[in-house]
Amino acid sequence: MVAPTETLTCQDDLTLENLLQTPEGQRIMSCIQCGMCAGTCPYGEHMNYPPRQIINMLRSGLLEEVYQSDSLLNCVACYACLAKCPRKIRLTEVLLPLVKEQMFEKLPEVPKELQSALQNTLRYGNPMGLSPLKRTDWIKSLGLPVRVLQKDPKPVDVLWFVECQTSYYPRGQENSRAVVRLMAALGIDFAILGNEERCAGECARLVGEAGLFDTLRERNIGVFRKYRFNRVVTSGAHAFDAFKYLYPSFGFDYPLDHTTTFFADHLNELKPKLARKLDYRVTYHDSCCLGRHNGFYEEPRALVNAIPGVKLVEMVHNRVNAICCGGGGGGMWLDTYYKSKGMERLSDRRVQEAVATGADVLAVSCPYEISRFEDALKTLGYEKKMIVRDVVELLAESLRE
Amino acid sequence: MTNKEPIRIGFYICHCGTNIAGTVDVETVARYVATLPGVAVSRDYKYMCSDPGQELILRDIQEHTLNRVVVASCSPLLHEQTFRNAIQKAGLNPFYFQMVNVREHNSWVHTDRLEATQKAMALARAAVQRVPHHKPLEVKKVPVQPGVLVLGGGIAGIHAALTLAGGGQKVYLLEREATIGGHMAKFDKTFPTLDCAACILTPKMSAVRASSNITLWTYSEVVKVDGYVGNYKVTVRRKPRYVIEDLCTGCRECVDACVYRDAKFSDEFNLGLGKRKPIYMPFPQAVPPVVVIDPQTCIELKTGKCKKTCLEACGDRHAIDFQQKEEIVEITVGTIIVATGFKIFDARRTPYYGYGVYPNVYNALEVERLVNASGPTGGEIVMRNGQVPKRVAIVHCVGSRDENTNRWCSRVCCLYSLKLAHLIHEHTRAEIYNFYIDMRTPGKSMEEFYTRIASEGMHLIRGKVADVYPDPSDGAQGRLIVQAEDTLLGRIVKTPVDMVVLAVALEPQPDAQDVRRMFNMSCGAEGFFLERHPKLAPVNTFTDGIFLAGCCQGPKDIPDTVAQAGAAAAEAYALSCRGHIEQEPNTASVLDDCSGCKSCIPLCPYTAISFDADRKKAVINEALCKGCGTCVASCPSGSIKQNLFEDEEIFSEIEGVLAC
Ligand SMILES: Cc1cc2nc3c(=O)[nH]c(=O)nc-3n(C[C@H](O)[C@H](O)[C@H](O)COP(=O)(O)OP(=O)(O)OC[C@H]3O[C@@H](n4cnc5c(N)ncnc54)[C@H](O)[C@@H]3O)c2cc1C
Ligand code: SF4
Ligand code: SF4
Repeated sequence: MVAPTETLTCQDDLTLENLLQTPEGQRIMSCIQCGMCAGTCPYGEHMNYPPRQIINMLRSGLLEEVYQSDSLLNCVACYACLAKCPRKIRLTEVLLPLVKEQMFEKLPEVPKELQSALQNTLRYGNPMGLSPLKRTDWIKSLGLPVRVLQKDPKPVDVLWFVECQTSYYPRGQENSRAVVRLMAALGIDFAILGNEERCAGECARLVGEAGLFDTLRERNIGVFRKYRFNRVVTSGAHAFDAFKYLYPSFGFDYPLDHTTTFFADHLNELKPKLARKLDYRVTYHDSCCLGRHNGFYEEPRALVNAIPGVKLVEMVHNRVNAICCGGGGGGMWLDTYYKSKGMERLSDRRVQEAVATGADVLAVSCPYEISRFEDALKTLGYEKKMIVRDVVELLAESLRE
Repeated sequence: MTNKEPIRIGFYICHCGTNIAGTVDVETVARYVATLPGVAVSRDYKYMCSDPGQELILRDIQEHTLNRVVVASCSPLLHEQTFRNAIQKAGLNPFYFQMVNVREHNSWVHTDRLEATQKAMALARAAVQRVPHHKPLEVKKVPVQPGVLVLGGGIAGIHAALTLAGGGQKVYLLEREATIGGHMAKFDKTFPTLDCAACILTPKMSAVRASSNITLWTYSEVVKVDGYVGNYKVTVRRKPRYVIEDLCTGCRECVDACVYRDAKFSDEFNLGLGKRKPIYMPFPQAVPPVVVIDPQTCIELKTGKCKKTCLEACGDRHAIDFQQKEEIVEITVGTIIVATGFKIFDARRTPYYGYGVYPNVYNALEVERLVNASGPTGGEIVMRNGQVPKRVAIVHCVGSRDENTNRWCSRVCCLYSLKLAHLIHEHTRAEIYNFYIDMRTPGKSMEEFYTRIASEGMHLIRGKVADVYPDPSDGAQGRLIVQAEDTLLGRIVKTPVDMVVLAVALEPQPDAQDVRRMFNMSCGAEGFFLERHPKLAPVNTFTDGIFLAGCCQGPKDIPDTVAQAGAAAAEAYALSCRGHIEQEPNTASVLDDCSGCKSCIPLCPYTAISFDADRKKAVINEALCKGCGTCVASCPSGSIKQNLFEDEEIFSEIEGVLAC
């Protein structure tokens, strides 16, 4: 198998000017122009400047021309290029964000949907533009207690960073309720930040809005510092990445888990409690952040396989080769823009592969994917054929009542 | 000469043109050394290593009755032997000599003339204080036993063995498979000439068998190596093949007679693309041309309850022997050539190419078998689904030039990919798409070969293949899409093909580390055996008397493999012709007050120390000792002494360098 990419945190002080003097820059100089990055990029054919070309332009001192193109708006930060680059150049997380930042500043017009998501995030701390006060509304219908640190600030074992989709979006809230049930079943001492939580900012950073990201990071770290806890567990695959790669240079140093890896670590205790047989044929979609970026290919599969009755089948593109849902790097709010350019929605492409496996459940582990895939199933008329479930939802469904 | 005689030292400092004299004031040094106790003559001279320079020493020794000599010049690596020879000519023991390096250690690395001169004086003083303590030593000669072991019967091992045998050397050729031939035996044609591999290889294989100087042991492995250059004791395990080699005529009537009417077991020689019976011959031209029985699938060997129709068919030839046991044999040889070759990269490690998932994805070696007339399909390129491909993609650099797998370029893949492009096209008229990163065709006639194949009308696409997946519009026909960026066009191409051929890398053998340990060799970071010097000692290893040939040292083509095998044979031959090796006398020895603590034994990098249980003392084998000094420094009771590095020699040298 391809080794997961090295887990190096991202340096804050890198700029395009000093990049080539750093070890990372020297690695960029070693590019052999093989085109693997462009060839593997899900939107490579729509880019005037795919990663290979960007490096070529950078080395020839012609990067200015790249900023004039909106080509990199097509990058959905899926880590495919980074994972397969034979020189291990950290494209998605180092080079491309720096170029995107410049491009973003020069964009004549930011696509509307993206613009408002970013503005909302700045103003309300979530891309939907909903009130921070409503962040914990999902708890009301749950029937289980969830401790909010603001109200009850005594030290806690697990600080669960819920993230936006899973707090506000109805289908995301089901994910959160499943997490609570699993935590309760395992007897985990956990709490959430409630209304104090803000978007972790990974998408802002990866679409090129570094300023917004800095604001969000500062704010979240400030809140973390107020409380005492042993570890952070988050439902957001993108939040996980933000904390792992982008927050450390700002002092974030807590042990970290995604809910999927957290429950995978507790699989032995969880297994006896998974009593309900689920007669599903499941195919698992590797989220880009958890899979390619962090190498968590087997953990979510182990969870799915632990559920009695479930049969796991693989899509043509799986693990390191999985096709992105199209939601990363701001792609979540660029669907209209992509459509206007005549580009296929990646979630449509992915769902077709999922349906072709004959599975009836598409299992996911990143909160973006629920809405994207449900939407794609509907558009393509597959909504009767297949449902989308987060791995934690499947686990909760299998819990003994 | 006895130690009672007064010490009379001759000191010489060399100008080395301006190499030394340009930075060091050699005349001042010579004048200074003349004032030191024991020095009878002190001179500077333009080129000490020249004939007149050596004459100068010779004359001084005789005229001034010198009994010690110190030369301050370049590195001992370069000229220590020169000067030792010179003083030996004058009748002095060559070890009454000390060399001072005032070039590499001084003039070449300093710019300040005054300080460089002072340093030269200090170094000269150290040598002058040391040399009176030198003892007369003797260079020992160790005989080289006749006989060479060649490990691995690929083209490298075959060529080395034949060369040595041709010169009258006794050779043991050891091969772990049932036949010699290695990878080359699997090919149909070879680049760059496209000549038939069997036509050039099988005569050499037969010559091995015919040579009275070669003992060929197939199905054999080395389990232990003891001894040292000139005198290696090698323990060999000969696995049972359940067929007596001398009695089998290779008629294969037994194979026809086997109770299994159809061949139903995966055939290793054809990489599983064909089938064989439990009793089989790997391929028709196998050497030795005898059958072998596979104990994993033979009913008699598994259960003892077979009708043994093979035995009946063999009749009074009596070649089949189900009782055959593994044999352990010890042989003594003077030198060893390691020629264990390579293994191909397992393409499942690049999962995005679909090897092992899609049946129409093949590795290049499998395709070599498919195009081979004696292969599983009789030379027809028929895929696992029974079809002949109309469009074929060849993916270069699979497992090469990639930090995620192997960093090196495997050197032969571009060329064998071009070869396969030609052969597949010749057999099927299919459209061929070669996806490459850089087309690497170094070597004689290789670029011409590239030109020839390219002009036949291949599609050459510059771009590393990113993805191989079933064509979604094709249902279950097995058509695949090969996706890449055509970097020269700047376009993404999605090429539909029927067959994908992966040009897999050449990797070290999986047991290379075991072999390395057994023969006390080194490996580079990639795991190939390391040559002593990349340019000047390409077939030598760091262990004397052990040489390398072929792909075990790194990926290479057949021409280079054969050239290297010839070179390794010549090195082994040279040692054996000389009949002895000269042993530097700077070896260590254990004194009588050794307490037997054994702490030195595991430290010796050359395993030269053993324990004499009767005397309860460590013993150093002079022939193995390389004079590294590790044990000397480690001995807690100071009971190991090393020639030329005895305490009084070292201490007086240190005093000399520190005194001012
Ligand atoms: C697909 C492919 C096509 C190629 N086509 C060409 C071509 O057309 N022209 C060309 O010039 N080159 C070609 N090459 C390169 C060629 O294969 C090598 O140059 C050549 O085989 C090297 O020979 P060798 O003897 O060093 O190694 P090998 O052929 O690998 O032989 C090594 C032998 O040692 C034996 N062995 C290994 N370990 C042990 C052990 N521990 N004890 C005993 N025996 C052992 C093995 O069983 C084997 O028989 C090709 C390579 C590949 C992969
Ligand atoms: S991260 Fe994904 S979308 Fe972005 S350039 Fe790389 S392959 Fe393309
Ligand atoms: S001097 Fe070195 S080589 Fe010689 S016996 Fe001691 S450790 Fe071994």
